Amino acid sequence: MLFHTWTFFIFFIVTIAGFWALRPTRFWLHWILLASAVFYGWWHPYYLLLVFYSTALDYYIVAWMERSPHLAKPGWRFAASVALLIGAIAVGLTAPAGWGGLAAAIGFFAAVLAAGHWRRSRRDWLVVSIINNLSVLVFFKYAGFAIENLNILLARLGAGQLPSAESLMPPGWEYVLPVGISFYTFQSMSYTIDFYRGIISRERSFVRFAAFVTFFPQLVAGPIERAKNLLPQFSKIPRVKLVDITDGASLFLVGLFKKLALANYLGLYVDRIYGDVGLQGGVALALATFAFGWQIYFDFSGYTDMARGVARCMGFRLMLNFRNPYLAVSLADFWSRWHISLSTWFRDYVYIPLGGNRVDGLNLQRNLLITFVISGLWHGAAWTFLIWGALHGLGLIANRRLEQAAWWRDRFPSLAKRLVVFVFVCLAWVFFRAESLSQATAILQRIFVTGWADPQMPLLLLLLVVSVWVYQFVYESALRSWLEKPSVKVVLALAMILWMLLFAPGGTEPFIYFQF
Amino acid sequence: MTHETSQPPASDPTAVRLSARQWLCTLGLSLGFAWLLPVAWTGFESFKPVPHYRVPYELSNDYWLYERWLGQLPPDAIPVVGDSVVWGEYTAHDGTLSRFLGDATGTPFANAGINGLYPLALWGLIEHHGGVLHNRRVLLHCNLLWMSDPEVDMQLDKEQTLNHPGLIPQFMPTISCYRADIDLRLGRALERRLEPFSWVRHLQQAYFGQESLPEWTLADNGNHPPSYPNTYRLLPGVEGVNLSTEAVSPDRGLASERHEPWLANQSGKVNMEWVTLESSRQWRAFCRLAKRLKGRGNELLVVVGPLNEHMMNDSTREKHRSFRSTAVVWLEGEEIRFVVPELLPSEEFADASHPLTEGYERLAKRLAKESVFRAWLGQ
Repeated sequence: MLFHTWTFFIFFIVTIAGFWALRPTRFWLHWILLASAVFYGWWHPYYLLLVFYSTALDYYIVAWMERSPHLAKPGWRFAASVALLIGAIAVGLTAPAGWGGLAAAIGFFAAVLAAGHWRRSRRDWLVVSIINNLSVLVFFKYAGFAIENLNILLARLGAGQLPSAESLMPPGWEYVLPVGISFYTFQSMSYTIDFYRGIISRERSFVRFAAFVTFFPQLVAGPIERAKNLLPQFSKIPRVKLVDITDGASLFLVGLFKKLALANYLGLYVDRIYGDVGLQGGVALALATFAFGWQIYFDFSGYTDMARGVARCMGFRLMLNFRNPYLAVSLADFWSRWHISLSTWFRDYVYIPLGGNRVDGLNLQRNLLITFVISGLWHGAAWTFLIWGALHGLGLIANRRLEQAAWWRDRFPSLAKRLVVFVFVCLAWVFFRAESLSQATAILQRIFVTGWADPQMPLLLLLLVVSVWVYQFVYESALRSWLEKPSVKVVLALAMILWMLLFAPGGTEPFIYFQF
Repeated sequence: MTHETSQPPASDPTAVRLSARQWLCTLGLSLGFAWLLPVAWTGFESFKPVPHYRVPYELSNDYWLYERWLGQLPPDAIPVVGDSVVWGEYTAHDGTLSRFLGDATGTPFANAGINGLYPLALWGLIEHHGGVLHNRRVLLHCNLLWMSDPEVDMQLDKEQTLNHPGLIPQFMPTISCYRADIDLRLGRALERRLEPFSWVRHLQQAYFGQESLPEWTLADNGNHPPSYPNTYRLLPGVEGVNLSTEAVSPDRGLASERHEPWLANQSGKVNMEWVTLESSRQWRAFCRLAKRLKGRGNELLVVVGPLNEHMMNDSTREKHRSFRSTAVVWLEGEEIRFVVPELLPSEEFADASHPLTEGYERLAKRLAKESVFRAWLGQ
């Protein structure tokens, strides 16, 4: 179910009506859980099994963790646990044809849980949680990519081929990437890790915890909420004030406009240019690359705005996920403005555990690179995503160096810095958007070597994007108060509504980030 | 992962955060604009239908224009409602039934047919866009060809690409050959109920090549390699579809190659299965439509057929007549006036149901002589 559809509109009306009716009772949380299940199951009911598994597992693991000491007992039990895992997988794979994959998976997860119970320490439970969550994610998101590349390697070595990921699914089950799996897996994992670190206490109500993981506004494309922020909001009956509804509706309107009027329009142009790279000149490809930069921003931040708006109408506050990222003056600044919930997730659970800023020189650069490569892979199982992540890692390292130079830090105009960051980010998006590594390199090559040809970018599109950019500049300038005048706000809102009514392209294009 | 930042705003990166009062103001203005713009547009957009006007073929899905056309009919004009048989699939705009009825009776008739309408869609058209016809004299054509086969009667489960999907029932009754997701159905249901949406469709149909403005700015010219004529334009020029008349088409009219009698070498060979009256989805829709028109105070006359019986084999002809007889019984039972015209000569049919220009002329003259018809006209 997509936010910008009539189905969601009806779903939301029913949900909010039920929520208001049940708010005085203790069942309002059950209602949210039910609504979230309907919202998510709308895509495919079988997705619910996975999200329920992930939720239940982390809920119980934290319960077991609470009763366990911090440190594991050393000794032979570790080796025995590993042997148990391998044995379970091996036994599973001997199951009848078609069921081997499922049997091996069940055996694996059972063995992981058994090992956790056997060793009984908080750290081991944390490992069990991470293994479980990442296993599901890896299987559905990365198995195809890994097997494909391993098979290329095996073929070169003259060895046999591995079975495809699809063949590991039970008969009649489709191998598809469940919508939003990367988001809710990370959200659920953060709960376990935060409990292990002592940042949060254990949530005793399963319904509340399940509502936290599956809360429908942010379930499929974030923001990736932290238990520290969202769980306490589920602990008491939310007080919904008029300002929550008006702010929520405002956020929703802006998000809807970003998606329907801007992202979808930009998408039409980008698809046309990237759809036939060989025919296009360098200017068209460069413009399409910039257009994609804006498209993905409007698409994703539009979704987030709508998610936050929907939650706000129910009295819940989700975290900010975007803050005009194309006004960033450095790459570090960009990552403090772009997909904030994910970048802070990686900061807290990958970068800092690796050593973060506490180390110097090469180690710090290594930490940045590792974090960004993993971040790239989080977005998708392809070499293009890995390179995109690595480019940002390297860019950040270079940017840090530049910031140490006085001419850059003090004398280089901030507008020029913004342009440099924007151009770098957009060129990196080429790898993000391209269907293959060869297409990405072809695009980059053609941008720089082909001569002038009319890019045929619609003037209207250009005007729209430039207007938004100017708006953002003004918003972050001293003229901001002018934009906050009631009359200006009303005119802007009216313009957005009328534009969508009159001119928005039809159809219900899905959000780009759903594929992650 | 973040180290150094510019000075970001503390709050959300947008100023469009409206208070309750501002929301009320915005919604009020939006609703006002949405409802006023179509009204104001009628003053801005020139629409002066030529004599014997019919809605141009390119605008067959422009129901807002259709409604405007009906609303502009002179009080004494009698609309002839129906599908492409009324509209005139093979003829020019001045070679249709309504034109010849006017000639034969001296009373103005107006072509209120739309190409591609089947009874289910015709019901939707009149239900949602034909309200202005209330209390008028209406001639309704019944094309029984829509009941001649389970497929055209929309009884099969196999998915069909339908004309005018926005006019058929979207939810109840369910139509198994109509596949559309819930969003599309909801969108279509809303579009036909809310005028601003159908007006926007009108703009798209008439000025933006049946697409939205963004899609129009990106539309190619169909060549290879393509070029994009609207890239640097913000609004369409004057080359939109002419609303008031239709362009001369090589596909229609006396000079057209298509304006030829049907292939007589199939005479008596065509087999049609026919569905039963009780099971016919299209017939039920037609009955509903007839009742609706009556309920709106229309003085209704139904013209049943004629179909091209010359092409039917004996069995098909038998079934057709049987079906028609039963249909007539229903019309009698509902006290709806009707005429079953005599079969036209073979050479005056273009296909199974569409007469040629001469056929329309003969049909009109015959109708004008019918006592029921004259009584209905008040002559």
